[in-house]
Amino acid sequence: MGDSQQGFTRRRWLKTLGAAGATLAAGQILGKPGAAAQEPSGQHPAPEFTGPGANPYWTSPGQFATYPQKAPLILLTDRPVQLETPRHYFLSTFTSNDAFFVRWHLQTIPNAVDLKEWRLHVEGNVERPLTLSFPELATRFKSVSIAAVNQCSGNSRSRLQPRVAGGQWGNGAMGNAAWTGVKLREILDAAGVKSGSVQVQFEGLDRGLGPKGFGSNRFMKSLDLTNPVIEECLVAYAMNGEPLPMLNGFPARLIVPGYFATYWLKSLSSIRVLDAPDDNFWMKAAYRIPDTPRGTTTPDDMISGKVATVPIARMPVRSFLISPDGSTKIPAGFPLRLRGIAFSGYGGIKKVEVSTNNGANWSEARLELDAGEYSFRTWSLEWTPRTAGRYQLAVRATDEKGNTQPDEGVWNPGGYLWNKIERQEIVVGDAS
Amino acid sequence: MRTRKWYLMMITVLSLLAARGLYADFRAGIYTQAGPETIHQMLPNAASMDATYDAGQYPIYYPELAAGEGKDEVENNCELCHSPRYITMQPPLPAQAWSDEVNKMRKTFGASIPDDTAQKIIQYLGSHYTPETRKR
Repeated sequence: MGDSQQGFTRRRWLKTLGAAGATLAAGQILGKPGAAAQEPSGQHPAPEFTGPGANPYWTSPGQFATYPQKAPLILLTDRPVQLETPRHYFLSTFTSNDAFFVRWHLQTIPNAVDLKEWRLHVEGNVERPLTLSFPELATRFKSVSIAAVNQCSGNSRSRLQPRVAGGQWGNGAMGNAAWTGVKLREILDAAGVKSGSVQVQFEGLDRGLGPKGFGSNRFMKSLDLTNPVIEECLVAYAMNGEPLPMLNGFPARLIVPGYFATYWLKSLSSIRVLDAPDDNFWMKAAYRIPDTPRGTTTPDDMISGKVATVPIARMPVRSFLISPDGSTKIPAGFPLRLRGIAFSGYGGIKKVEVSTNNGANWSEARLELDAGEYSFRTWSLEWTPRTAGRYQLAVRATDEKGNTQPDEGVWNPGGYLWNKIERQEIVVGDAS
Repeated sequence: MRTRKWYLMMITVLSLLAARGLYADFRAGIYTQAGPETIHQMLPNAASMDATYDAGQYPIYYPELAAGEGKDEVENNCELCHSPRYITMQPPLPAQAWSDEVNKMRKTFGASIPDDTAQKIIQYLGSHYTPETRKR
């Protein structure tokens, strides 16, 4: 085949594409005439933003982007980096490292870490300040593993009405991993917490360009030393058996099982024991929720200044339908296997129920692999839609403490704690 | 003998069904020109055997801000600490919410933006990023 012929082929090909488009537009199809033309699927990119109504999509609707050590993820912001995990990755108990969501607060985030220089400093109100190298961290203390969900406080923020400013996440600012590391308690004991200590503060390698003393300069979070979660915290150096991706906090990050991700400091460099409560911006002003049932309030009550706030803590129970995701029409009579995940920051999942008629009736789903009380729990349920129609599927979970997902949303100015029952429309077509 | 008859009948029926398949109602061979967006596959970073763990650079995906007065001020001030995607990512917000955001950046986060510049930024955001004004 000569060069000219190849060039001709390519040009002809493109022309043919145009002609096919025109054919389609004219409503003609191959085979029998008369059937209505359908829009070719996959040709309409999702919009770049949603609102002022609630985001109707499962994730944030923007473009995909490729980052180091990462699969293409949904781009929220590029500096600092915020990336959302697409829906299909949640079919499994564990979220792979390359698909795990990313959220940094400050723009100067690590690209490279030299382990010859990196040290974890244990300092402040302690008897024996420690300076731990990576090998010391891994060998001086007992290695333990835990499966735990890491979910952004603002996951699903784009569902709130009225909308609030902030990272406009859909449901994909969460992930579950098997974290391996050492107990925070062992590190604290090795350093010797002095009496009169009240909190322990965590800081990583990230820095911002704002002036000193402001939240735009340093990101720090603290936990009360009397908080039982301290006993469950890990300093993890492995994620799903691999080193942490740089964007997920290489070489080590804090794991706070059951708690929102804001406390899970990445690229950890300091563990600081405090003798007075932390009053830095990220504790005193940010990541606070109304001290009300479910942390919900109204814009008017916020303006009135009557709403007391507390630091955000544990994650309320949630569940999701992952497959089918509504992107494909299902033939009537097709035996579907509904699949999804559930989790709660208050302990294990006791029950997942699914409705195929918008919440009028509920069927209990089968719970699958139990990887621990703070893990994703996958579930499944067989369902064969017999007739064509639009089916409103809904899923709700109940945790071991008896907490169940409500059918009402929440509103608070930070856009936190969303755990309303999720719904998904499934279109079933005629099969004959 | 009976089995053989059945066998032949089945073959005839199956052949007829297959032929019917040629007249089935379906569309085929339709392609379309893709958009200009491409996501490239990335090669792994070349790794050395020393103690440095290098993920490489983080790409910038610079969004297109609405054209108009105040855009320069946004670029010269807001973008010091964060990407303009922090603006384009938001849902359309009321003008008051944008004003609150700019003031939060100044007072809470310590952004040193002079009053008149801040006013221009607030005006710009209110002119392009509210439910009434947002185009893209």
